Amino acid sequence: MHGKDVRLEGVQITYPNGFTAVQPTDLTIKAGEFFSILGPSGCGKTTILRTVSGFVEPTAGRVLIGGEDMRGIAPNGRPTALIFQNLALFPLMPVWENVAFGLESRGVPKAARRSKALELLDLVALRDQADKKPGELSGGQRQRVAIARALAVEPAVLLLDEPLSALDLKLRQHMRAELREIQRKTGVTFIYITHDQGEALTMSDRIAVMNNGVIEQVGTGDEIYSEPRTAFAASFVGEANQMQGRVCGLDGDMAVIETAQGRLLGRNPCGLKDGDEAMLFVRPEALVWASSRAPDTNRLIARPVRRDLEGSFVNIVLRTNTGANLTMHQVNTGAEIDMESDASVRFPCEQAVVLPKGPLAQTGQELAAQ
Amino acid sequence: MTSQRLLTAYTWAFLLFMFGPLILMILSSFNDMSPPSITEWRGLTGKWYNFFWVDEATLRQDPVLRVLDRDRFVACFGNSLYVAGFVVPVSLLLGLAGAVLLTRWRSRANGLLWWVLLSPMLAPGIVLGLSALVFWGRLGVNAGLFTIIMAQTTFVAGYPMLILMARLQRQPVELEEAALDLGASPFRVFRRLTLPYLLPALISAGVIAFMASMENYNTTMFAKGGSCTFATEIGAMARNPNGHPPVINAVGTIIILLTVVFATAHAVLSRKEARA
Repeated sequence: MHGKDVRLEGVQITYPNGFTAVQPTDLTIKAGEFFSILGPSGCGKTTILRTVSGFVEPTAGRVLIGGEDMRGIAPNGRPTALIFQNLALFPLMPVWENVAFGLESRGVPKAARRSKALELLDLVALRDQADKKPGELSGGQRQRVAIARALAVEPAVLLLDEPLSALDLKLRQHMRAELREIQRKTGVTFIYITHDQGEALTMSDRIAVMNNGVIEQVGTGDEIYSEPRTAFAASFVGEANQMQGRVCGLDGDMAVIETAQGRLLGRNPCGLKDGDEAMLFVRPEALVWASSRAPDTNRLIARPVRRDLEGSFVNIVLRTNTGANLTMHQVNTGAEIDMESDASVRFPCEQAVVLPKGPLAQTGQELAAQ
Repeated sequence: MTSQRLLTAYTWAFLLFMFGPLILMILSSFNDMSPPSITEWRGLTGKWYNFFWVDEATLRQDPVLRVLDRDRFVACFGNSLYVAGFVVPVSLLLGLAGAVLLTRWRSRANGLLWWVLLSPMLAPGIVLGLSALVFWGRLGVNAGLFTIIMAQTTFVAGYPMLILMARLQRQPVELEEAALDLGASPFRVFRRLTLPYLLPALISAGVIAFMASMENYNTTMFAKGGSCTFATEIGAMARNPNGHPPVINAVGTIIILLTVVFATAHAVLSRKEARA
C-alpha cells in the first residue's frame, strides 16, 4: 500500500440552506502522513472529510488526490476509505464478510476474498473472531474490524471521523498507539478528525486547528502547542492563561502588552504593532514561584485559592489582586502550598506569546452551561 | 378503588363487544339449524364444515346444502388466490420502490409524494373500484379478474410501503454510505445490505397484502364484472332472503382459527428475533 497526497485548492462548501461550513481553504496533506484536523464540533472538519471522500461536492475549488482532480468522481471511484464515527459495520454479515466487502465489490472470488480478509484480521489481531457477527464483538474489536475493512480496499488515503469517541478512556489510549502503528506499517495517508486535542497531539505528524469553517493553523504538535498563531489555537489546544490588553511597546521580536495585571512581555510572532489590541497567552507549566531575587518582568502577585491533585502534577488556581484567575501546574513533589497569603509568581517571556485579539475556544464552564 | 372497578368493568364490556359476535358465530356453526341460531339448539353437528368435502350424494340429501353451489364457491376461492398471486408481488415491488424513494431521496417534493402515494389507501374503496372499471373499460378491457387485480393493487401497495418505510428509517444511512465508499455499486448496496435488512419486513408486508387482497369486498365488488372472489361470493350467500346458510359461519370460524395460528407464530418468531 502507498499513501497519496491530498490537496485542497480554494475549497469552499456552502450547503443548500446557505450555511457555509467551510470557508475557502488551501491545504496540502503529504503522502504517508498522519494528519489530524482538530476543532470543536460544528467547525466544519467532518465536512472537509466528506468532501475528500466524495460524499460532498465542493461549492468552489477542487480536491486533488495524488495530483488527480477528483471533481465528479463518486465515493466508490476514489482511492479513499472512510471510517465512520459510528463505524457503520454491516450487522447482518459476519466479521470476515465485512472486511471482504470492498473486495467483493471489485469482483474478487470468494476464496481469495476470505484469505485476504483473514490476513487483515491478523493485522488487527482478530483472526479468531472472523465468523462472528459484529454485534457479538466488544467496542474495541468492532473498531479494529472497521479499520481492517477500510484497509482491505488498499486505499491511498484513510479518512477517520472521530473513530475513538465511543470508547472508554483506557481503550482510547490503547487504540491511539495501535492506530499509529497501523499507519506506520501500511504507509497509508491518514486524515484523522477529532475534537480531542490529546488524540491529535499524541498521534499526528501534523495538525490543522479549525474553527468556524476556517483552518487557523497548520503545524506539528509541538508547533501548535508551543507556537500558537491565533487566540483560538492557543486556547483550544492545551490549557492557557490569557490576559487581554493593548500593545504598548516593541522590543525586537518581543512585545509589551498593557493588561489589567500590569505590563507583561512576550514573544510577538504575528508582528503586532504599537497600539494593537492583543492577548497574551502563557501555559500553566510556564508559571513558577518567583524568588525575591528574580527580575521584575512578568511578575504577578496572586493568592492560591485551590489546589487540585492530578497525580503526577498539581493544578493550582491563583487569584490576582485584580481578580483574574491564573492556573499553574507544578510537578508533584509533595511540597505544601501556603493557601493563606499572597505569593509572587512569574513566567519567562520566551514562554509567553502575544497574539492578535480574537475569538477563544469555549471553556469547560461555558460548554457545561449550554 | 371505584375508578379501578369502573376501569375493569369497562374493559370487560369492551372485550364482550369485540368478541361476543365472534363467539356467537362459532357456536352457531356447530348447531344443526339453518339459518344459524344459538337460541334454538338442535344438536351438535359438523356438517357445515363437511360441506366442502362430502360426496355429492350426501350433499343432495341435505335440504339446506343441496341448494348451495359448491363448485362455484370453490372456483371463487380459487379466483381470490389467483388475484392475490398477482396483487401481492406487484404491491411489494411498488411499495418497496415507494419506500426507498421516500426515505432515501431527499427532496422538497417528498411530503407531497407521500400523500400522493398513500391517497389510494384513504380514498373510498368504491371510488377505486369504479375508476378502475371506467378506466379499463375505456381502454376496451372488460371487467373481470384483471380489473380486480388492478383496482386492488392501487391501494394494497400502500401497506407494504408503510411497513418498509418504517424499517428503512431505522437503518442508519451511514451503512449505505460505507458500502458505497468501499466501492460497491448502488445495486450491490441494495442487494447485499438493504434487501437482507428488509427481509423480515417484506415477509410481514407480504402477509398483510395477501390478507388485504383476500378480504377486500367493496373495491372488488365494483371491478369484478361477471367474475367472483371469495369475499364477494360470501357476500352473495349472506344476502339470501331466507337467512344465510351456517356454512358461512363455518368459513368464518376457520378464518379466525388461521388468524390465531398465524398471529401466535408471528409473536413467537419476533420474540425469538428480539432475543437473538
